[in-house]
Amino acid sequence: MAQEGLYRKLEAPFPLSEILLSGADDEQLKSISSKSGTGLSLDEMKMLVDYFGNLGRNPTDVELQSIGQAWSEHCCYKSSKQILKEFVFGIDNSQVIDRGDAGVMEFDEENAYSLRIESHNHPSAVEPYGGAATGIGGIVRDVLCMGCQPIALIDPLFFGMLDTPVYELPRGTKHPRYLFGGVVSGIRDYGNRIGVPTISGGVFFDDSYTGNCLVNVGCVGIARKEHLYKNRVGGVGDNLVLVGGRTGRDGIHGVTFASAVLTGESETESRGAVQLGDPITKEPVIHAVLEVGRRGIITGMKDLGGGGLSCVCGELAYAAGFGVEVQLDRVPLKEEGLMPWEIWVSESQERMMLAVTDDNLEEVLHVFKLNDVEANVIGRVIPEQVARVFFEGVKILELELKFLTGGPEYCRPRTIREPSHHVFEKAPSRQIGHKEALLELLASQNICSRDWVIRQYDHEVRGATVLKPLQGVMGHSCHGDASVLKPVEDTWKGLAITTAVNPWVTAIDPYRGGKAVMDEMCRNLVAVGARPHSFSNCLNFGNPEIPKRLGEFHEAVRGMGEAAAKLDIPTPSGNVSFYNESESGSVLPTAVVLGVGILPDVRKAITSDLKSSGNQIYLVGRTEPEMGGSSYNRLVGAKSPLVPDTDLGVLKTSMDALLSAMSQGLVKSCHDISDGGLAVAISEMCIGGQLGAEVDIEVLENLPSEILLFSESNTRWLVELTPSDAEKFEEILGELATRLGEVGGSELVICSDEEILINIGIADLESAWHNTLWKLMGGSE
Amino acid sequence: MKLEDLKICILRIEGTNCEDESFQAFKRLGANPEMVHLKQLTGQDVLETEKRDLMDFHILMIPGGFSSGDYVRAGAIWAARMKSKLSAPLTEFVREGRAVLGVCNGFQVLVEMGFLPGLNGIMSSVPDAVLATNESSRFECRPTLLKYENNYTSIFTQKLKSGQILLIPSAHAEGKLLFPPEKAEKIYQQLEDNDQIVFKYVDPDGEYAGYPWNPNGSPHNIAGICNPAGNVLGMMPHPERVFHRFTHPDWTRGFGTDIGDGRVIFESVLEHVCKKF
Repeated sequence: MAQEGLYRKLEAPFPLSEILLSGADDEQLKSISSKSGTGLSLDEMKMLVDYFGNLGRNPTDVELQSIGQAWSEHCCYKSSKQILKEFVFGIDNSQVIDRGDAGVMEFDEENAYSLRIESHNHPSAVEPYGGAATGIGGIVRDVLCMGCQPIALIDPLFFGMLDTPVYELPRGTKHPRYLFGGVVSGIRDYGNRIGVPTISGGVFFDDSYTGNCLVNVGCVGIARKEHLYKNRVGGVGDNLVLVGGRTGRDGIHGVTFASAVLTGESETESRGAVQLGDPITKEPVIHAVLEVGRRGIITGMKDLGGGGLSCVCGELAYAAGFGVEVQLDRVPLKEEGLMPWEIWVSESQERMMLAVTDDNLEEVLHVFKLNDVEANVIGRVIPEQVARVFFEGVKILELELKFLTGGPEYCRPRTIREPSHHVFEKAPSRQIGHKEALLELLASQNICSRDWVIRQYDHEVRGATVLKPLQGVMGHSCHGDASVLKPVEDTWKGLAITTAVNPWVTAIDPYRGGKAVMDEMCRNLVAVGARPHSFSNCLNFGNPEIPKRLGEFHEAVRGMGEAAAKLDIPTPSGNVSFYNESESGSVLPTAVVLGVGILPDVRKAITSDLKSSGNQIYLVGRTEPEMGGSSYNRLVGAKSPLVPDTDLGVLKTSMDALLSAMSQGLVKSCHDISDGGLAVAISEMCIGGQLGAEVDIEVLENLPSEILLFSESNTRWLVELTPSDAEKFEEILGELATRLGEVGGSELVICSDEEILINIGIADLESAWHNTLWKLMGGSE
Repeated sequence: MKLEDLKICILRIEGTNCEDESFQAFKRLGANPEMVHLKQLTGQDVLETEKRDLMDFHILMIPGGFSSGDYVRAGAIWAARMKSKLSAPLTEFVREGRAVLGVCNGFQVLVEMGFLPGLNGIMSSVPDAVLATNESSRFECRPTLLKYENNYTSIFTQKLKSGQILLIPSAHAEGKLLFPPEKAEKIYQQLEDNDQIVFKYVDPDGEYAGYPWNPNGSPHNIAGICNPAGNVLGMMPHPERVFHRFTHPDWTRGFGTDIGDGRVIFESVLEHVCKKF
């Protein structure tokens, strides 16, 4: 690992080295960091020199690697922690039960649900199939180690444009079509096999993701409250039982790989950092872990993710105020000949660590044996807050856990720019009629039908999916705003699950972008009749050591936190992914939220498809001239600094009013207005319901028709009502609602007073919307 | 026999993943299903208290999933394990007229074991059919409509009306029921003659249709078959997923009942077995 002169071999019956920190100059320290693959900065290396100087010895290679893992951006959030503390960590309410590897929230008196979303970006950029599959594996373990049965997978994905010419690809970059196909296959083959429905997500395309695609993976779980566990041991003397897959060379330095910028050489240099997934080890692991959890024969547990054993052993013990002794040679291996440090940091998949008292050990081991899952005692909890690791009787690591798990924390410089001066107004480069614009938007990669993806995922396994991702008339179903699950057998109470993101708005104005994301999440949940209850976030940004990038992060988190605080929606879990950059630049600032809402009764859930001729169509919310970052502006080549803002007070009032109307059974269908604006939203409702509509936008604000049709102003929904309920609805919504028109016929007709702006048959809308991904990705329906 | 005295075995191995909802489907009807790992029947690695005897059960259900990952042919590994250890009791179980239901991966297992179509005795020594990769070459998760084609040979469909159409969703990558090419039409004719074809895929107008209404390209649109005696049923679509109306794909467009279309299959078999034993 280290170069001649920087390390010395120690006497041991296996490879073990001493790292010669003492007396090393700056160049040598940098060289030790880079040759060892730990990615520690010079300042961090100097902290090690001080620490080991005080101990009067040099570290072993195992110790250096261990610190490299624990102090990586991925593990210790050293660049983001301060900002997150300032804006989101404090948002709390009585519904939050735990904040562990996944957040845990109250579902009802007896049950709790858990949620988390995280990134698996860099592995997926190098090896899309394996990267995405192991992403699913990792997020499922996060939910599982809280004691919860995983019940939903959620996958927002971001790629370059699918029609990018091959010769335009940066060096060492894979084509977006290859990445998209590989990632979807990876999620499909892993998610379907472990029997967890993939019910929500999204696919987004932009040139900024060409060199660094983003693969975010979310999971929601459910458990009876007495079966919840903490990510910590019970007490001194507990056995550490490693269960699941064997340990191998796959996934070495995954976290340090995740904490650096991708380069043209990432493919050849870092393929070993991508783990290999094995869903058919995972499925019985889920089974056995839940079984020992239900029997109450473990004291705590945690999954092995980033940093592998090196992170989990110390964290599990230290969280309870104790330390740990590990016999590393007891770890079962995939192959002979791994060096001790490799075993210690490997991120091989499908592994969990359980804490078990001596009394229960036999029963725990039996449950795993019955399920054909390996389980081995590899360590024991000790009273001192120290990690000691032995290999074949030789001590190879001894570190204070306070030092190891403490990690550095930075307040890095950031530049917060004035948003309105950043982007200048640019007139459209294309003149285009409203009808053509609508058809092109419907066919665009970011708006078109996702059924090519959705139907490859089993979204109904577990038999609890009440609202599916595609809603409406069978054979013509269209995108819904959120999916709904009925997670507990003896209650009709439900969970609505959605994602929201708007990188284009966030790029222009990160603060408004952060708020817009929360607005969209709330709109989606309310559209199906659910009250927003919690969210998890995955914040994908560029290199935080560049002040402008960290400034974007700061502002986006500020916007998100402000909205969450005002709406009282806690975020019990989250994830930050920095360094999403390649040689062609940074990705757009991509703040993804996974939102969870609660429906008192799933039998009252509402879908987005129009239901009956003669029903009335209402618009809830105001339309503003906020075209910045909109799909329409990108279509016509225009630019504007004015991105949609959110009035949080109005959002709250609108949500309350709409939910009240819904609970009285007034709302027949509802769809949020987002990408492509009002015109796209009404088109989707027509397609799903196979019904036409006639609406008049003359009654709306006095604005140019392209703004009324295509603005993506926040806090707006389209709502369908029976004529007899209209009066009652107007009473509840007051000035928030405007009557736009009526359901009927087989065309979508949008007029402004006498002038017909758009008149398109439903079949034409549907074929424009439906075929794009099939054409680009192959296959046909 | 009273419903609560019936014993139902929901069998699982690694990769089985529809066992919870299959268990609930029986449970909701007042029966007492039990989740059983295959090793509890073979006696491997289990405590005395965990051992189970197949012949103590009246109904055996093999649920959907990806048993052992289905990295070979779907269902092949699970079938091989059962065949090597449990051939005799399983043959006895079927011969006595006890009920066996295989859904999705369970159907694939029953075909691989030789219980379906079962044209050469209770269990053929080599499979007579295969559930091959879908025509689309992809996993297909979509609503499917099944027309009831059986003339009441199957004990799982006694409560259905002739020609009735059920919405029962599909989710599989290998569901195309094929027979050896040289005798495919002959076998199909035998199935017709023996009244073994239980369900066929149709479109919303009730007509036999191609993709996507037939999600896998199965010839003659076959979605489910039974053995000649009618006590073994295999089907690709998942009745346990539509026990309630509220997991149908289009229930928000109006519904007359809370009952899902899959429930009748569980009701039928419970009623039949209660009467028989």
